Amino acid sequence: MLVHQLLRQGAMTELVGPLSSGRTSLLTLCLRDVTRRGRLAALVDTDHAFDPVGAAAAGVELRHVLWVRAEGQRRRALKAADLLARCPGFALVALDVGESPPRLSLAAAFRLRLAAQRSGVALLVVGARRVVGGAAALSIAARRDRLAWAGPGPVPRRLAGMRSEFHLVRKQGAPATTEAERLWWTA
Amino acid sequence: MVDGVTRVACVLVEAFAAAALERCEPVLREQPLAVVTGAPPATRVVEANARARAEGVRPGSSDADATVRCPGLVRRLAALDAEAAARHALLEACLAVSPRLEDAGPGLVHVDLAGLRRLFGDEAAIGQQLRRQARAVGLEARVGIAGSRTAAAVAARVGPTVHVLAPGAERATLAAVPLATLEWSEALTATFTRWGLETLGDLAALPRDGVGARLGPAGLQAHDRATGVDRTPWAPWMAPLFWEEAQGVEWEIMTLPALAPVLERVLERLCARLVAAHLVADALDVRLALASGGHHARSVALAAPLAEPAPIAALLTLDIEAHPPSAPVTGVALSARVVPRRAAPGGLWEPPPPAPRDLAAVLARLTTLVGSANVGAPVVVDSHRPDACALVGFEVGDPDMASNSPASRHLAEAGRVSGGVGGDDSCEAAAGTLALRRLRPPRTVTVETRDGRPAHVGDPAGGGIVVVTCAGPWRASGDWWDVDVWARDEWDVALADNTVWRLVHDRLKHEWSLDGVYD
Repeated sequence: MLVHQLLRQGAMTELVGPLSSGRTSLLTLCLRDVTRRGRLAALVDTDHAFDPVGAAAAGVELRHVLWVRAEGQRRRALKAADLLARCPGFALVALDVGESPPRLSLAAAFRLRLAAQRSGVALLVVGARRVVGGAAALSIAARRDRLAWAGPGPVPRRLAGMRSEFHLVRKQGAPATTEAERLWWTA
Repeated sequence: MVDGVTRVACVLVEAFAAAALERCEPVLREQPLAVVTGAPPATRVVEANARARAEGVRPGSSDADATVRCPGLVRRLAALDAEAAARHALLEACLAVSPRLEDAGPGLVHVDLAGLRRLFGDEAAIGQQLRRQARAVGLEARVGIAGSRTAAAVAARVGPTVHVLAPGAERATLAAVPLATLEWSEALTATFTRWGLETLGDLAALPRDGVGARLGPAGLQAHDRATGVDRTPWAPWMAPLFWEEAQGVEWEIMTLPALAPVLERVLERLCARLVAAHLVADALDVRLALASGGHHARSVALAAPLAEPAPIAALLTLDIEAHPPSAPVTGVALSARVVPRRAAPGGLWEPPPPAPRDLAAVLARLTTLVGSANVGAPVVVDSHRPDACALVGFEVGDPDMASNSPASRHLAEAGRVSGGVGGDDSCEAAAGTLALRRLRPPRTVTVETRDGRPAHVGDPAGGGIVVVTCAGPWRASGDWWDVDVWARDEWDVALADNTVWRLVHDRLKHEWSLDGVYD
């Protein structure tokens, strides 16, 4: 249900948050949801941070994922995302801009949005902070709520999970409301 | 009954070499025709149509003898390509009636009649339908229907043009057929005459083992023919791998703009056939007949299988423009190498996967952009070593197989139930799996420990962060039998800056490093 709220065909969604906020876990959930239904997803990984072993354990069908590693080259990552967004047939194109993303120019951001509109691709931009601004139809901010530790004794032996809070930053076409929309999610 | 076949029709075109030539030149049907081979004076008749046979022309006779017997005889050299085309046309004609055929030789096709009664009526009606189909491709056929291929082949040669042998009465019916009405080798004919055999019944009454001992394999085949017994398995005929279309032109084409419409017309016919058969062309062979008598052949490989005439025509035109023929064109022939069309997966409202052509172009551009080592589908390597993964070529396969596989469901279920701290909020979404953002390569750090547990993480660049909570260690090792032996302790640490890291202590090098951050 969370993925359906997040991803929209032909639109761009931005998911931002600091490290350990749960944004990458939510990205993995999106990849799982898309690939389990037999559809194709592409991930442009700017910082080479994607963990295929963990994704496979989470249920992602890796053979339906096109992984493009930009090795820290942000301009190339943006070009790769632009190419993929113009290729109809991908259900999801995710651009992980990493930890220190420069803000995209207005022209580049709206170019990405237009490409997604024309091809019907759901474009998801994940990063530490907002980079596409008003071009995103939906902007979600993530924040860590609390951690859960597990272990038989007083000293924890493993990290059991993390609860994250997502709140709506921007929603295109939605009326301005005073009450913030919030959602909690556990990974 | 052989291979579950209960009733068989044998479609026979007599004097097939002559019939193939008559198919190309219909006017020859009204004239006595002999198909000849060999250079004079050794020219021999290999086949003759009914009119020529009526005049006494027989296969094997010399050209001079045939001319004496039939002064108006028309002679044509044997044309192998015309025979091959006619043979294929007869098979395709029968394929329109039944999907199960056997190519028994030039002008001879066995047709499985199972299940055809509801479509065409009784067996006589099926036989008439087979004759109509053969006539539609320019061949006059006789049809025999029986319970075995051997009996049907004999029935096709004797009696009416559609000769149906009642089930169970084949042997009795065939017993009255004179041996002279069938074609035998000269040695067999002489032997039968010496033995005093006149009908198939006489031959069938002889013991098979005795006939085989005296006449060898030819005698056994003759005995099987007389008894109507099939000894060989059914060899079904499959549609050919090459699909061809051709068109001649009445004038010499000297320019590409004039040639392009002809190419498009041929391509439209070819693509229509491919679409009907649910096939797409993977490559095309173009053969242009030239006014000089030669041919201009080109082979065009398509980047992605296609069945749309417009883009293929554009590709062919560009190729011919780059490699023009040396003389005016008088004919166009296209041959397509086909592959099955891939079914579009997904639900009714879901978009199809990328077209192979688009995907290939995008992958090529991505490879140029980031390098071939950085584009592909990730795979998990069968190893306990951390971050054991690799990249393989990205292909669009059958999605249903993967999405519905038991392993997929198992992994999905595992992902759904793993982790989780629970929640009592009404806005709580379904739980997922905590993901790790890896640092490649791992970042070396200095760690202060207290009671054997990390207490402070320092960065070589300066600064340090206090460990708020840590969990572990999770000990792992592997490849101890090899030079790449590894052994490590993993710690999950929550730092004071609100980040949660996976900290690794290498037990062989005694170094600490950050493996990744939980996010």
